[in-house]
Amino acid sequence: MGMSVALDGDARLAAAAKVQEEHGLVRSAQAGDRLSFEELVRRYDREVLRLALNLVHRAEDARDIYQEAFLRVYKNLHRFRFECSFYTWLYRIVTNVALDHLRRRTSRKEDQAPVPEDSEGTTRDFFDRQPEVRAASNPERNLLGQELGEHISTALNRLSPRERMVFEMKHYQGLKLRAIGDMLGTSEETVKNSLFRATRKLRASLEGMR
Amino acid sequence: MHQEEFDGLQSSACGEFESKLTLLAADELETSEAEEIQKHVQSCEGCRSALQQEVELLGLMSAERTEPDANFLASCRAGLFDALDQQEERGWLRRIAGSFLPSSWISPDPAWSAALLLIIGFSVGLFGPRLLRHTPRAVDANQIPTGTISAAQPADANIPEAEVISPISSLDVHSADVAGINVSPAGGDALPQVQVQLNAQRPMTVSGTVDNDNVKRLLIHVLQDSQRYDPDVRLDAVELLRLRNNDPEVRSALCHAVHTDHNAAVRLKAVEALDGAEPQTLVRQTLLDALVDDQNPGVRVEAINELRDLAAQGRINSDDELLKVLHERIKKDPSTYIRLQSAAVIRDLGPRQKF
Repeated sequence: MGMSVALDGDARLAAAAKVQEEHGLVRSAQAGDRLSFEELVRRYDREVLRLALNLVHRAEDARDIYQEAFLRVYKNLHRFRFECSFYTWLYRIVTNVALDHLRRRTSRKEDQAPVPEDSEGTTRDFFDRQPEVRAASNPERNLLGQELGEHISTALNRLSPRERMVFEMKHYQGLKLRAIGDMLGTSEETVKNSLFRATRKLRASLEGMR
Repeated sequence: MHQEEFDGLQSSACGEFESKLTLLAADELETSEAEEIQKHVQSCEGCRSALQQEVELLGLMSAERTEPDANFLASCRAGLFDALDQQEERGWLRRIAGSFLPSSWISPDPAWSAALLLIIGFSVGLFGPRLLRHTPRAVDANQIPTGTISAAQPADANIPEAEVISPISSLDVHSADVAGINVSPAGGDALPQVQVQLNAQRPMTVSGTVDNDNVKRLLIHVLQDSQRYDPDVRLDAVELLRLRNNDPEVRSALCHAVHTDHNAAVRLKAVEALDGAEPQTLVRQTLLDALVDDQNPGVRVEAINELRDLAAQGRINSDDELLKVLHERIKKDPSTYIRLQSAAVIRDLGPRQKF
């Protein structure tokens, strides 16, 4: 018991030290130290890119979201007042950029237009372009995988941008609903409702696929 | 599909529990509430089935997820840093122009002002980039961390020279705390260069290819001590160890990850990484265990795919245990794909082994 308390205490101290160290980096970056800003980018950019990639499913769009989000962070860094964690503040910006992107995409007809054609004149999206090492040796699997991918993609397209964001952040970024509410600037209850709607829509769309 | 259709969709769960089941699957309930729901689920078939559907839905969705690879991340990062450079240059030019050219100068005689701006523009264009070009970050030899390990001379010119210090032959991996793994792809068939960054009182970097023993041991350590590391780091470790999947220690670490890692993406990657490894008992058993026990359909699908490949290539023999597992999957697995593939494996094994 005593040992466990000591360990908890150590963990708390370590966490506090980490926060302090990060605040130091933010302060340096706010003072114009470019290397500190780059260090902050390196800390979180893989998560940001993963979120973007799984929301928009196109490499170029994900790259745009990544870049726009971090440029906004850079431009507005002086406004960060340490009232929440840097991570939360960063994600507020990232989710805003990503939601804008998803909304634009939903309202744009040409979004349905496929990405550039390959040499054979067929269209391929980012996931098609990912190497599939054993596709040739297993056409049955390839076909089933493709079919499943199409179903999931259709199901996701039926979610509203906010529902999609909440589902992604909850289940694949591992965030708590309260934290998601903080990041999206809304209440935990609203986020909960978005999650219910998203789950229900996905269940309906993918009925029979399981 | 319209909104009303979703709203009208009936769940098999009891009305008051439907939303709670979603929250239970999302790990959003307090322990006491979760226990209460679990108790109800055990006695209510409708809710049990609804919860199962929630879990399967999450598994299905996770099978189609993608992880940004190291090259893509590096290219996005480079693009961002270039954009920041440009912003800084523009800001700097604006400040300089502002201090030399107050707005009152420009308005009275636009022609002269335009000419002056052109001259300044040319001058800045000629000399600005030279002044602003990023000089390589100078490394003070006195600040070089003495504990840095260079397992092999990095081929990548981006790796700062300061990190190439005399090699330290043995590394205490148990006290190592891996902060990150950077991979620089090498051309052709050459193995990629790996930098493993370690947190310590004095941060260290171990560089080399995955053929280097220190690099290998650190990557194995990441998988064996998975609780300490983020899934990103573990995914990188699996991806790299895949290149040595015929090394017994590596095979064993990958099998360990398939059995124990709590992240489905890592388990999936680890099963993939066993592809091409000598299918000795441990590998075969690991694939069977994943096929039977893994909660994630994506992992089970990958396991049956590999078993099918091995069977098609005649690299595994059928025995009672294998057949029993496959027949059981045909009967019980909730996934149509796995049921079909299990039958296909039995078909592939058939002509070689009579049973």
